[in-house]
Amino acid sequence: MNATPVMDRLVGRSMKGSVPLGVHFDVTYRCNERCVHCYLDHEDYGELETPEVKNILTQLAAAGTLMLTFSGGEIFLRKDFFELLEFARSLHFDITLKSNALMITAERAVRLRELGVRQIQISIYSAEPEVHDAITKVRGSFARSLQAIRFLKTQGLHVKIACPLMKQNLSGLRRLRILADELSVPYVIDMTVTPKLDGDTSILAMRNSADELVDVIQDASLRGQATPDDAAESVVGSAVSSGIESDAYDGIPCSAGHNTCYISPYGEVYPCVQMPIPAGNLRRESFEQIWHRSPQFARVRAIREDQLPVCAACNLRKYCERCPGLAHMEGGDLTGAYDRACELAEMKARVAGVANPLSAWHAQSRGKALAVRASGRLVQISQHL
Amino acid sequence: MNRETVVLNPRLAWREIQGRVVVISPEDSVVHELNETASFIWKHAERGRNVSEIADLLTTEFRVDAAQAQADTEGLLAVFSQKGLLAN
Ligand code: SF4
Ligand code: SF4
Repeated sequence: MNATPVMDRLVGRSMKGSVPLGVHFDVTYRCNERCVHCYLDHEDYGELETPEVKNILTQLAAAGTLMLTFSGGEIFLRKDFFELLEFARSLHFDITLKSNALMITAERAVRLRELGVRQIQISIYSAEPEVHDAITKVRGSFARSLQAIRFLKTQGLHVKIACPLMKQNLSGLRRLRILADELSVPYVIDMTVTPKLDGDTSILAMRNSADELVDVIQDASLRGQATPDDAAESVVGSAVSSGIESDAYDGIPCSAGHNTCYISPYGEVYPCVQMPIPAGNLRRESFEQIWHRSPQFARVRAIREDQLPVCAACNLRKYCERCPGLAHMEGGDLTGAYDRACELAEMKARVAGVANPLSAWHAQSRGKALAVRASGRLVQISQHL
Repeated sequence: MNRETVVLNPRLAWREIQGRVVVISPEDSVVHELNETASFIWKHAERGRNVSEIADLLTTEFRVDAAQAQADTEGLLAVFSQKGLLAN
């Protein structure tokens, strides 16, 4: 989908002026669910306090941030959440909330509408209560989240279901689509399961293989629907994964660090939630200093697609949704390739009719394996001699 | 109308980005980009000025005559109102 001309110009101006147009702010990592695939540590190691968050919001408004996503953890666990929301709205931010909705009551839904929240994204894992509850590890969570969706819809709020896909819920995706239709809410899936923030990769075992995802790759309607809400969202997140093309993103991997960034509940600033490279801490430095002067942001901004060591020469680039953050987390190199992206790109290419698609990364590793095997034979031969 | 304070729709999100005001409406997610004159009027309306005051400021800032400034201000405010950007 192409960005509207207005969005295109906005993205262009923010890129040119290095304006942090979209910020994802996790205000807590605490949570009242214990989702099996979650990458967070839910302990509170000293979250930003109310005045600290307000101070950061004031700095963001001054820096030009318009789109603000409050996420977590579960945002409503913060006792001051409505105070923060009210403050953010007094600074005229465009607000998206991400929540599991367990704590959204009818009264809270009214308040969210009054405050002018634009969109609320709610995690629903399955249309089957048992599957959903087994993933969240909270009995009754499906029923409560669904009830909250109804409260929000009654208020005319824009709700979107977000469904992270994993082995546990893949087979129920069609039924989830029907449920979303019945509720009259759009839904999006997320095929990413990321390693834990502490580097633990055990949860990666829950993600579906490229072969298992073939139906999802073949049938675009299973991946969710684009909504008018996405038009305003297109600047936040990936130029690739949002599916919205803007000329302003040409030549760079994604928006991370260019016109978007992430803030943790402890004040750390990263280029993206999926790129946990600490560029500074707002308890010690100003946002302005971190955004404009940190070497980490400078490094991310300097990356150009045509200079990526392996990917620049890959024939499957148009099928690939490589995320530099995942490249960093899974392959240890922001500019590198990584297996997951290659496998999905190969599957997409196969579905599109490409015969024997092979990514540049896999071609290279296969070449290396052959060379190792060949040198092994030489050793064996020399031993025989 | 001239002495009336202009009140912006409080439910809107907006920011001045590189000299232009960008407004997002939460009801329909429509993004409005205001041109230079409209941005100027928006920012002064935000500060609680009335139509005549805004027109006067426009005269100075853009070197247009008073009648033109008044017409432009009223015209743009009518567009704001039609698009749901004003509270009144
Ligand atoms: S780092 Fe990954 S998740 Fe973040 S904006 Fe870039 S592509 Fe998207
Ligand atoms: S398929 Fe692999 S090698 Fe090719 S562009 Fe994507 S990540 Fe890079």
